[in-house]
Amino acid sequence: MEHIATHNRKLIFTPAIRIFHWLRALAILVLVITGFYISWPFLVAPESSDVLVQGWIRFAHIVFGFLLTSITLVRFYLYFFSRNNIERKSFKDVLSFNSWIVQLKSYIWMGNLHKAGVYGPLQFMTYVAISFVALIVCITGLVLYANVYHLGVGGLLGGVSDWLTALCGGLANLRTFHHYLTWAFIIFVVIHVYMAVWSGIRFKHNSVDSIVSGYDYHKDHK
Amino acid sequence: MDTHAALYKQGQERLDYLRQFAQRQPKSLQQKMADIGISRRDFIKWTASVTAMFALPLPFSNLVAEAAELADRVPLIWLHLAECTGCSESLIRTDSPNLDSLIFDHISLEYHETLMAAAGWQAEENLEHALETYKGRYLLAVEGAVPTANNGAYLTVGCKGHTGLHIVKEAAENAAAIISVGTCAAFGGVQAAAPNPTGAKGVHEVVNKTVINLGGCPPSEKNIVGTLMYFIMFGKLPALDMFNRPKWAYGARVHDNCERRGRFDAGEFVEEFGDEGAKEGYCLYKVGCKGPYTYNNCPTERFNHHTSWPVLAGHGCMGCSEPNFWDDMADFEKPLGRQLLHGIDATADTIGAVILGATVVGIGAHAVASVFAKPLEE
Repeated sequence: MEHIATHNRKLIFTPAIRIFHWLRALAILVLVITGFYISWPFLVAPESSDVLVQGWIRFAHIVFGFLLTSITLVRFYLYFFSRNNIERKSFKDVLSFNSWIVQLKSYIWMGNLHKAGVYGPLQFMTYVAISFVALIVCITGLVLYANVYHLGVGGLLGGVSDWLTALCGGLANLRTFHHYLTWAFIIFVVIHVYMAVWSGIRFKHNSVDSIVSGYDYHKDHK
Repeated sequence: MDTHAALYKQGQERLDYLRQFAQRQPKSLQQKMADIGISRRDFIKWTASVTAMFALPLPFSNLVAEAAELADRVPLIWLHLAECTGCSESLIRTDSPNLDSLIFDHISLEYHETLMAAAGWQAEENLEHALETYKGRYLLAVEGAVPTANNGAYLTVGCKGHTGLHIVKEAAENAAAIISVGTCAAFGGVQAAAPNPTGAKGVHEVVNKTVINLGGCPPSEKNIVGTLMYFIMFGKLPALDMFNRPKWAYGARVHDNCERRGRFDAGEFVEEFGDEGAKEGYCLYKVGCKGPYTYNNCPTERFNHHTSWPVLAGHGCMGCSEPNFWDDMADFEKPLGRQLLHGIDATADTIGAVILGATVVGIGAHAVASVFAKPLEE
């Protein structure tokens, strides 16, 4: 017996978007945990001082910090220059007042969510905001790095990082800003995960799964 | 010519220039050393250590020795503004005379309110005389912040009742170089802490000339005398960092050269003062050490004849040589992550957690409402 497909399938997330999404998720998770340790070392002292507990945790923080920095830069590039224009198309919705109303109403259970690209306007602006927060957290992180590691990349960033340190009024302030921004990620992640799950259920399409498989399934519209 | 040879030549020219001026002290440095029992050997050791402190090669110690002898050719005017005299104390109150205090004694100190014999009108005249006689040649050291609110009325000094603002501007006019000694003169210090009612500022904010900032509450005697020696030797300013502090003294963080750094990397922390970790000499980060954000040479140079420094004594660094340290580094016995935000009395993490809680409650409410909401029409 032949099956007739009840849903249309459409590739919305390119492999690059998906891979970077999950790498970024991993980086944020590791950075938040190790960052809180660096802020307030909560683990007990090791048996021997040959075991560099703080040293290894700081190492992980730096490695994943560079990962997040790279992804942040690549994602900025991809938004503008990716051959797939699914993200760029969303910008049309941002400029349309009507689109904002449609999205906000759909979130309070009034009507469906129609959008030109893959993101609604509020969603799009939230992602833009978190991308800029990521940019600032990476820059402050690099300045902190350059103040500790003076060779290689640290040495290369030396001049700029001195200027930024002075701009912030010292390393202490800079670090305080770096710490505050952590909370933007934590709060973002909670809302992001909820909205992804909720919109899949509410609007009856593939949602959480899309960022793994890349496909969205729609019943009616293509 | 390589840079060291060029610098050496510059130093020689500078010292030749100084030699043409009359000796200002009745006794030579050599005689003074003999009087208080400092041997030539001690002196040579001291010149070598000053040379090393500037990260210069050993032959420069000859220049240091000559510069020390010629220190009395350089007129120094030392002003006291809104301050506690702790910086002068750091330099002069040593248990036995050493070369650092001796150089300060030997340099041609034209005006220093704590040390001079003159008072009243006579003192005022000395200052005016020195400013006029040594125009363009004198070294100006300032201790203390400059109150600027109400046109500087919060600080008046001397019989003529001039404001600190007026005095420092006038003295800076014809100074060959200006040194802000201590955090107050450099960045405002505790006087400039919020809400800063007197509008206290660092000297560099009220004069339009380059000012060398010697942060520290107080700066060590090594950093004060080293800066004087550098100026005597070369007649110019040393390489300065982002806050105009000499790089030879403020080039590395306290954390970088801390003797407890190994404890930090290992994750061995003092949890509270007096605990087992404190006795073992664990890292003081969790009890508020601000060494990671503070540029200074305290761990290597220490204070009081290289005797000790705060971390060796068991208390964390308070970051006293950084701008705005009183506000930015508070609380002094908690790490930055546990800093209470002004006016809220909660840490950033508490506020973050409260916002997170509110978010979760909002999400919960939305989720529950969604269960009862009218389903979407197909």
